[in-house]
Amino acid sequence: MAREARQDVAPVAPIGPATLAQFLLVGAIGLIASIFLKGALAVVAAGAVAALMPRRVAHAPWVRVALAVIAGLTVHFVLRMWPGADAAADAVVPEGPIKESHTLLSWLIGLPTVGALAVLFLPRQAPRVLKGFTLAVMLGTLALSIPLLSVKMGRDFHFNQDVVWLESLGIHYHVALDGISLWLVLLTTFIVPIAAFVSFGSIDTRIKDWCFSLLLLEGAMIGAFVAMDLFLFYVFWEVMLVPMFVMIGVWGGTNRIKSAIKFFLYTMFGSVLMLAAILYLSYTYSRVNGGNPSFDYFELQRVALRRGTQVWLYGAFALSFFIKVPMFPLHTWLPDAHTEAPTAGSIILAAVMLKMGTYGYLRFCIGLFPEASNEYGASLAGVAVVGGILYGALVAWKQEDIKRLVAYSSVAHLGYVMLGLFSATSSGIEGSVLQMVNHGISTGLLFLLVGVIYDRRHTRLIEDFGGIAKVMPLFATLFIIATMASVGVPGTNGFVGEFMIITGTFVSSRLGHVSGIQSVGAAIGVILAALYMLSMVQRVFFGPITKEENKHLSDMNGRELVAAAPLVLMIFVIGLFPRIFLDPMHDAVARVVSDYDARVQMHPANALEPAKGYYQGPVKLLPRRPEAPKVVTMAAAAPEAPKTETN
Amino acid sequence: MLLQAFAISPLLMVGIGAMLLMMAEAFSKVRGGLALGAAAVCFAGVACAAGVWMYGVETIPGIDAFSPWIRVDRFSLFFDALLCLGAGLSCLMAGGYLPEHNLDRGEFYSLLLLSTFGAMILSAAGDVLTLFLGLETMSLGVYCLAAFRRASARSSEGALKYFLLGSFAAALLLYGFALLYGVTGHTDLQGIGDAMAKGNIRNPMAIMGLVLILVGLAFKVSAVPFHMWTPDAYEGAPTPATNFMAVAVKGAAFAMMLRVLLTAFGDPRSASWASGWPPALAWIAVLTMTVANLVAGRQESVKRMLAYSSVAHAGYLLVGVVATMHSATQASAGVLFYLLTYTVSTAGAFGALILCGRRGAEAVTYEDLAGIGRRHPAAALPFAFFLLSLAGVPPTAGFFGKWFVFRSAIDGGFYWLTIIAFINSVIGAYYYLRVLVFMYMREPAAGAPIATPMRSGYVTAALILSAVLVIALGLGPTKSLSVVFQAAAIFGG
Repeated sequence: MAREARQDVAPVAPIGPATLAQFLLVGAIGLIASIFLKGALAVVAAGAVAALMPRRVAHAPWVRVALAVIAGLTVHFVLRMWPGADAAADAVVPEGPIKESHTLLSWLIGLPTVGALAVLFLPRQAPRVLKGFTLAVMLGTLALSIPLLSVKMGRDFHFNQDVVWLESLGIHYHVALDGISLWLVLLTTFIVPIAAFVSFGSIDTRIKDWCFSLLLLEGAMIGAFVAMDLFLFYVFWEVMLVPMFVMIGVWGGTNRIKSAIKFFLYTMFGSVLMLAAILYLSYTYSRVNGGNPSFDYFELQRVALRRGTQVWLYGAFALSFFIKVPMFPLHTWLPDAHTEAPTAGSIILAAVMLKMGTYGYLRFCIGLFPEASNEYGASLAGVAVVGGILYGALVAWKQEDIKRLVAYSSVAHLGYVMLGLFSATSSGIEGSVLQMVNHGISTGLLFLLVGVIYDRRHTRLIEDFGGIAKVMPLFATLFIIATMASVGVPGTNGFVGEFMIITGTFVSSRLGHVSGIQSVGAAIGVILAALYMLSMVQRVFFGPITKEENKHLSDMNGRELVAAAPLVLMIFVIGLFPRIFLDPMHDAVARVVSDYDARVQMHPANALEPAKGYYQGPVKLLPRRPEAPKVVTMAAAAPEAPKTETN
Repeated sequence: MLLQAFAISPLLMVGIGAMLLMMAEAFSKVRGGLALGAAAVCFAGVACAAGVWMYGVETIPGIDAFSPWIRVDRFSLFFDALLCLGAGLSCLMAGGYLPEHNLDRGEFYSLLLLSTFGAMILSAAGDVLTLFLGLETMSLGVYCLAAFRRASARSSEGALKYFLLGSFAAALLLYGFALLYGVTGHTDLQGIGDAMAKGNIRNPMAIMGLVLILVGLAFKVSAVPFHMWTPDAYEGAPTPATNFMAVAVKGAAFAMMLRVLLTAFGDPRSASWASGWPPALAWIAVLTMTVANLVAGRQESVKRMLAYSSVAHAGYLLVGVVATMHSATQASAGVLFYLLTYTVSTAGAFGALILCGRRGAEAVTYEDLAGIGRRHPAAALPFAFFLLSLAGVPPTAGFFGKWFVFRSAIDGGFYWLTIIAFINSVIGAYYYLRVLVFMYMREPAAGAPIATPMRSGYVTAALILSAVLVIALGLGPTKSLSVVFQAAAIFGG
């Protein structure tokens, strides 16, 4: 790594034909882009970046081109998604019934999975082929996921595909996407190629196994976000564990094996209890549905349970998700896993896998057991504030290892996300979903940058550094941007999410009369975040250079820069234009909140169970939801999935 | 007459095949090929069972001619196929293992086939006399197989333990049957069942008989606390024989258990939580799962770990057997399906373990496997795959096996039992993962020999067959589910 960096920096090329060719190349790419993307501003931005990027930043032509393309695409993305400038999008999508592919999600799951199997047949001795192939598959998946944005997300689920898998057991292959999972899927397809790209610089053993794990992991994570059949969800949930276990265990640090096993067993312990709850729920459903079992989310949502059973089922699901999030006091696996995992593993773990827990809570706990979520939400919000936000921040403050510090900051950030979910207000949940994306981006970037410094010094202890802003100015700049995003400075993405969560908490009626105290606690967490992040930044980057080894560190190389660039840009895109992200999820969140309110108010409290709102009769089925896709009963795909109105 | 012979053709195939192989071994000068012959006999047995199944065993006239001694029904046909499959896989493994480790003596295959024959009789027996005959035929062969490595003290020790405890268990079982005969005047299971339905379960002698039978059955399925022989016998025996014990002997023992408990003690009173065998069996299941999983995590030998893991799997299966109290067909179908997935996954794991060692350097301990994932991925990948199936990670066969058994337990209302089983499956994941850790994440200790896998077409064939079945059962279990439901339908209800 260091060798590569030195090669990039050392030659100072004179201005000559090479530079000219470089500018011509950029111009040609801009021309081609302008034809396809129909966005002049994007081309201008790309051209400006290409032309103005100082040489000490863009060491090589390909870095310049890549940075220009990234900048252009970002500008294009903003222009295209900006609600006011929707004319172009409207022209493309005709009026009438929305045309959407029913197999797109399966492609998104299938492409990386099949790619992973294909990697097994590539030669082990050709790392360049393996890396190129893996990256191509990931970029292909990213490109395939872009059309997800072309459909206007309302309250409904889109891209619905429902195929009977095991008829007699009521198990379907059912995938669908709404405004909430949309962003998580995009986050996955966005982060994974970045993580893979940066890892190819530092991982040099067993590339084949590494590529296989990455691709399998990506497929499973996308699958878990879009699975609408609980059985399918569980399958993806478990499949996800194995590649991550291998990634930590094979390419991790000194204590990797212990951490990997800890990670696996913690998660598996939670998930088997969830499996038991899934089985019980499906069994209950089949009892009231004439013996026909189902694992479909929309069907199981209709089961009205008494308090006695619901609390247990909720507990089993919630435990599994809280371990994954992780919520205090189940968080102890996380710092170990992060500290030992290789950089890319940490990025994926923090950016995407932890979201599995928060997403699962939002989708399955709130969706399937609203009354129990309501009953325990207030107490758990207290745990999220005290145990997650405040305790996580204080522990982070005391860390000596940068990576461990970032890991504990994840505990604090996810405390915010959980707090927003517990508040069950529209603003709180929207903020939570946005914060899931934000955390993915800013913490992903932080882990990436920690990886950069670790690759150079092979240490992550804060005391081993000091003053390195002088030798690595570019690195220091990016790190401070990531820090600001993590702290939640206005203008960066973290601010928007945390602000929405705190306001959502403050106005929440679900949290009882302590919602004010909880929002104050969450606000204190922001201050603590500034405290632990900035004190670390100060000790690492500023002051005199005390260690001899730090005097000649090379700044970020092209690979690292290109990998970090999209993340840095997204920090500002979300921070400045949050509407782009909030609009598509708005109706889906409104649906979640209104369904939740309706269920909680459906059964007024009585003398037996005061103020809980549980259903009290024998188990029964509620009417189907309007947004639920039609049930498929034959062993064939539903070509159309019209919304049934059988209320 | 011919049709009746057709109905018992799996039995005839294996029995006659065993004789012929013995003759061939004794009189032929051609060496080699015995393994192939034995495997062919076994797979022909599978084919015969499938043929009879498809022909429709109920439609064969005079099928009752053998009953109650031998019951030819879908249940026994399923077990014929399952046991032959397990035996066939063991033969294939032996074809690679025995020559590699200088154990290539032909009697292995005849013993194994005769044992299989006994196991098939056992699963088909409708009368305690044939049941006992089948049991002894099976066991004697297996005792010899366990002691097959004559030069090894460990092998002899294990076999002797197995022989003594096994004989003891057989005696207990026999004594239990004798007591039942005294109470009911019947030796056929159906007759005993009819008599028990009249309320004989309150007779102290019948209770005594039931307890003795339960103990005998628990010995045979190696449930805790009657499992002491298992690790020693499994470790001492040559690995293909270990596989045979883990797969076929256990399968036949569960067939016997289901048939005895559901036919002879299937009446509402005997099969009730208040006054029958389910609570005893539930406690044995809890003990078996917990103790076996905890002890398995402490082992240093992979073979011993797999032995304890097979004990733990017996515990999960017992959960399914307990659930038959609630719905005999559904729960026993779950048990049968679990046995099927367990057979293919275990056979795959033992096959992969065989593949990882070679002459003079058999892979036994975790250390022996260190670094093999990096140097020989073709040997490590199948091992990892089968272990994940044993651990019950979806979408492998092992996951569906657990799924069905635990589902029938939940449907039956055994929530605590299911939770304990679930938690145990997490503990189980730990020691399966340890193998993965050693294979992929550790390097051999300095100076230690580096494992090199053997090459054998036989073992590879066994692995491919198992892998195909594990994947097929994991992705599309619908067809095999309908098979196990038809097989379990003989218990009614």
